[in-house]
Amino acid sequence: MADRQEKLSVAFAWLSALLVPALLAMVTGFLLRRGLPSLQVALWFGDTPPLAALLHGAPVFDGIWPACLGTLYLVALVALMAVPLGVASGIFLAEYAGGRTKLAFSFCIELLAGIPSILMGLFGFALILFLRRSFAPEANTCLLLSAFCLTLLVLPYLISSTRLAIESLPDALRLTGASLGLSHWQLIRRILLPASAPGIFSGVILAIGRAAEDTAVILMTGVVANAGTPGSLTAKYEALPFHIYYLAAEYQSPAELAQAFATALVLLALTGLLLLAARRLQAGLEIK
Amino acid sequence: MKAAIRVEKLSVSFAGKHVIRHLSLEIASGGPTFLVGRSGSGKTTLLRALNRLNECLPGCATSGQVELRLGEQWVDAYAATTNVENLRRRVGMVFQSPNVLPLSILRNIEMPLKVALSLPADEAEARAEQALREVHLWDEVKDRLSQAASTLSGGQQQRLCLARTLALRPQILLLDEPTASLDFKAAQRIEDLLLELKSRYTLLVVSHSLGQARRIAESLFVLHDGERIEALSKDVFQDRDALFSVMDELI
Ligand SMILES: Nc1ncnc2c1ncn2[C@@H]1O[C@H](COP(=O)(O)OP(=O)(O)O)[C@@H](O)[C@H]1O
Ligand SMILES: [Mg+2]
Repeated sequence: MADRQEKLSVAFAWLSALLVPALLAMVTGFLLRRGLPSLQVALWFGDTPPLAALLHGAPVFDGIWPACLGTLYLVALVALMAVPLGVASGIFLAEYAGGRTKLAFSFCIELLAGIPSILMGLFGFALILFLRRSFAPEANTCLLLSAFCLTLLVLPYLISSTRLAIESLPDALRLTGASLGLSHWQLIRRILLPASAPGIFSGVILAIGRAAEDTAVILMTGVVANAGTPGSLTAKYEALPFHIYYLAAEYQSPAELAQAFATALVLLALTGLLLLAARRLQAGLEIK
Repeated sequence: MKAAIRVEKLSVSFAGKHVIRHLSLEIASGGPTFLVGRSGSGKTTLLRALNRLNECLPGCATSGQVELRLGEQWVDAYAATTNVENLRRRVGMVFQSPNVLPLSILRNIEMPLKVALSLPADEAEARAEQALREVHLWDEVKDRLSQAASTLSGGQQQRLCLARTLALRPQILLLDEPTASLDFKAAQRIEDLLLELKSRYTLLVVSHSLGQARRIAESLFVLHDGERIEALSKDVFQDRDALFSVMDELI
């Protein structure tokens, strides 16, 4: 009886474990089948010669190149703002905050984590309305605003993963560092941070993925269907997830729908590349 | 006999629970002075009270006085004016299980020198070599200094930890069961080292081995449940039967 139960549990565990790769293969296979035929140079650049677009910034009208750049810029901006802020807050919570301060801060971060992304988008929109009515009448939704709102959205991941990674380090590491006469900050910088890098890194992965795929926030804060390559921080821009959404919602020919699938493939590849880049960054953080 | 450590009415508690209560003792310079007692009696906590390491653990409260003779001066360890990082460098500690950092062999010693003492690279390297020679590890590792310290054997790792502490030029060395996790031969090497080091440092050794204490201790304390500490005279603990009869009542 017990034997049969064990066999059943093992079989179930195997089945569940296989389910994830199987689903992943299905989704990717589906995307590849529908999107691969459209994955041509024209998808990126439309009628504009690619070299002219890449080297001389010739405008691209029917391609996803501007959306690729838009998403890249957006993710880079978010990483630039969210990673230092999030890691620093995580360090503060794990190492410096105590008692009530810690409770209050943790509560705020949990609240922030619970806010749906559409609300974050509305907040950005309301912020612009407020700015226009008060001291910046010409303020408008833009790349910087989207990045700011996305930063708010992903900060909780970064803070929690940093804090958890540091707090779960063994006491022995702390005692070792302190016994060698390192100050608190030297201990954090030289021993605790490098040792918790993998945990912090998993937070960075989550944050980057989230920033790259989010549509609700950017929808309210500055993304448009046709803006060309982003010109400045205060300009409107295009982005891949929005482009997919737009095509899928308003396609007028099967070819356009196929383009949406191809764009989804590109977004997938781009996120993969970003994660690889983040991994390289982590290798640089390792204890030296 | 010159004293090196004076402890006066020391109490240490974790989250309100007393581990050490009203303990007073005086430890001579040189040594080795051994501290024995049953597991959980507070030996480690007592050692950590001497270099204020308990403060790094959550929920710890310490009261009483600890005075250490550093150079020709007496330093009040818990005085507000005492620089705790400086104190910990001068009162070095080696832990029960080897705690090498996830760094190369050389970097394990150099990192604290460069970071805590801001020594320039060449001086840190020279000190590292000197410390590795002092623990007789240099010949074993001189060709693999850039390998991860975790590739060393347990005994080598423990000697590396000792070298790392010595490189900071401490005056007092606290050793918490330094041979507990080592095999017989590696433990033997550490014992030999302690005998060499006793002329240059004040050594306070927590040990689980009465045989070891009998072989190398100059003086010996028995800690009873963090409350009572008893000094055994040398003729008592050198006499095997007398020592074991004292310890019997402990266990
Ligand atoms: N960091 C800590 N937090 C809470 N209790 C502790 C801590 N360190 C030690 N103690 C308690 O103090 C007592 C003595 O521990 P310790 O000093 O390690 O004894 P020994 O080294 O003699 O075995 C134990 O009961 C232990 O539970
Ligand atoms: Mg102990």
